[in-house]
Amino acid sequence: MRILHLTSCMAVLLGALLLVGTGCTKSIQANSGSKSFEPGAKRDVASAQKTAVPTRISKQSSPSDAIPNAVPNAALSAAPNSTPDTASSMASGATPNAASLRESPVSERATPIPSLSMLDSGPSPLNAKRSDEERIPGELLVAKTEPSDTSRRQVEEIQREHLATAAAGLEDVFFGYDSWQISNEGKQTLMLDAEWIKANPGQKVTIEGHCDERGTLAYNLVLGEKRARSVQKYLVELGIDPNRLTVVSYGKERPFCKDREEGCHQKNRRGHIAVRVQ
Amino acid sequence: MRLFLCAIYLIIVGGLVGVLKSGAEDVFMEATRPDFQKIPIGVFGFRNGSNQDSSGEKAAEVLRADLRRSLIFSVADLPKLGIKLNGKWEKDAVDKRLAQQASEQGISVLVWGKVSAKEADLLLDGYVFDGGSGDVVADRRYIGSSSVLRHMTHRLADELVFRYTGEQGIARTKIAFVSEQNGGRELYVMDYDGNGPRQVTADGFLNLMPRWSRDRRFLIFTSYQERTKQHIDMVEVATGKRWTLISLPGLNITPALSPDGSSLAFATSQDGNSEVYKMDTNTKALQRLTFHASGDLSPSWSPTGREIVFTSDRGGGPQLFVMSADGSNVRRLTYEGDYNAAPAWSPRGNWIAHVCRTDERQYKLCLVSPDGQKRIRLTSGSGVDDSPSWSPDGRHLVFSSTGEGKSHVYMINSDGTDLERLTSGGIAHTSPAWSPM
Repeated sequence: MRILHLTSCMAVLLGALLLVGTGCTKSIQANSGSKSFEPGAKRDVASAQKTAVPTRISKQSSPSDAIPNAVPNAALSAAPNSTPDTASSMASGATPNAASLRESPVSERATPIPSLSMLDSGPSPLNAKRSDEERIPGELLVAKTEPSDTSRRQVEEIQREHLATAAAGLEDVFFGYDSWQISNEGKQTLMLDAEWIKANPGQKVTIEGHCDERGTLAYNLVLGEKRARSVQKYLVELGIDPNRLTVVSYGKERPFCKDREEGCHQKNRRGHIAVRVQ
Repeated sequence: MRLFLCAIYLIIVGGLVGVLKSGAEDVFMEATRPDFQKIPIGVFGFRNGSNQDSSGEKAAEVLRADLRRSLIFSVADLPKLGIKLNGKWEKDAVDKRLAQQASEQGISVLVWGKVSAKEADLLLDGYVFDGGSGDVVADRRYIGSSSVLRHMTHRLADELVFRYTGEQGIARTKIAFVSEQNGGRELYVMDYDGNGPRQVTADGFLNLMPRWSRDRRFLIFTSYQERTKQHIDMVEVATGKRWTLISLPGLNITPALSPDGSSLAFATSQDGNSEVYKMDTNTKALQRLTFHASGDLSPSWSPTGREIVFTSDRGGGPQLFVMSADGSNVRRLTYEGDYNAAPAWSPRGNWIAHVCRTDERQYKLCLVSPDGQKRIRLTSGSGVDDSPSWSPDGRHLVFSSTGEGKSHVYMINSDGTDLERLTSGGIAHTSPAWSPM
């Protein structure tokens, strides 16, 4: 910013030299004027957008407007699953520009992601104008929720997984408070589990990391992942192909036991090994 | 000489423009000062739409609760003070004599109103009188279906807050949260006072830690697909329409939109352990912000968008750290206790709420100032308090607590007073997130 300004200053100085001192103050005014105009102009835009807000908000309650409108720019019209692309380009150090994103393949779920940086959608101005009566729109419109197909499918899948895991005789590993170290007992268990996994090369296995109810939800998701990854690491050390192992953390969200005492907490601090059902 | 001065002047102007461009300063007015004098207000009530219904009483109850929660007003008990409308329930009954009487009791604002029917709709009229002169200083008329009477009353409460402080009231804000549903965790939204919970998702598995978009149209949250893959998804509340924003390998948790909505900070473990990233919401470009072989998570933005507070267990147990929004200048914020997590930066900038483990190994709410110099514990007792989230006016927090058995959502003032439970029932309610205005 300052460098830019210095160059503009140089230009002004050159101009001033040419005019031999006549216009120094004038050129300063012109220069600073054009600079201070920039924020001013922004504010104008902002206030113009603000005045447009009430109509937008009142419209929101009508179902026809509830579909995300097509404001998104070129970058946002990229497919929802283009995130991994941006991730890989980030790893290579290049910042993906709008053009490269536009070229990314559009998936079947090609609904553009609505813009999240909606600077025009701040709060509606209160006291804007006193009309005779102000209409209060309906309650926050919430879509009617029906249990989705995924919901039913998942319940069924969990049951099949329980049966398959019990039939395989796979055992879980338990952890100490705040810990993700595998105990000697845990290692014994994993050796037996590894034998089954090796003997059943067609099967894939999920390692779930679980925590007890103490601590925050978010940190327990990280802790649960650490537990699941230690199990994964040990199974790989025992010779299991890492491609057959999927790691997931449920934190404290899917406890095996719900009482508030140490015996129960101990049961919940676990790495659960489950046979993946296809 | 003249040219030299000209050049110096230009450099100074350039410098000033540079300063102005760098954004707002991290200076905010103190939200709830202990010496803050509340405005004494008296609510006579609302006349009912007809003799049969009790809409007037309902509206008065909602208004009094809103005004109390605003922390701007102290609501006087008018009948107890002997201040009553004589004779007819009409606006004219609030006369000079009554206003004078109220003024002598220290009441500076009086409210009277009525609820009436207009075709299929309800009208709510609110009159605001000056204690002392008895002049009508504001009159407002709201119209809406009978199902939105509470909202009309919230609107009047916000109007009063705005009139006397110039600030936006919070009575029409919402709270998103997570509730148990058939073994899964689903997103819900409710009014800021716990009224009218509505279900938003229904996939039967885990939907966690919602955050609002600036315009309250969307919730951004962690969701599991095929039960083994975590995504950060976005749902449009009004339609239930969903998008996947982030689906990196491993954890995809704790999303947090920057105050201007231009970037989404979150934590992912695609690098082997949990790290904080941010995504440009326009270009979708990713930037890694933390580089440490331990767990970094739970980013929360300063109101200027220039700094981010986050949780990290790089020193063993989880502690709070602050960094610039580009990942530079990392400094440790908390030193007291061996467990500090789930930070939430106040919209006023002056406090960072978080979960702290006490000496009795209970997980409670604490506040720490952004310079780490001041620390306050807000809650006590047993149970796990989690997921603090600020009201947009910075005067309240919502959080979840298992202090009474099942996890429920509670509201508390930022000074630790007025604990209020917002949810009920025999199922767990967790992860509250307060909407913007």
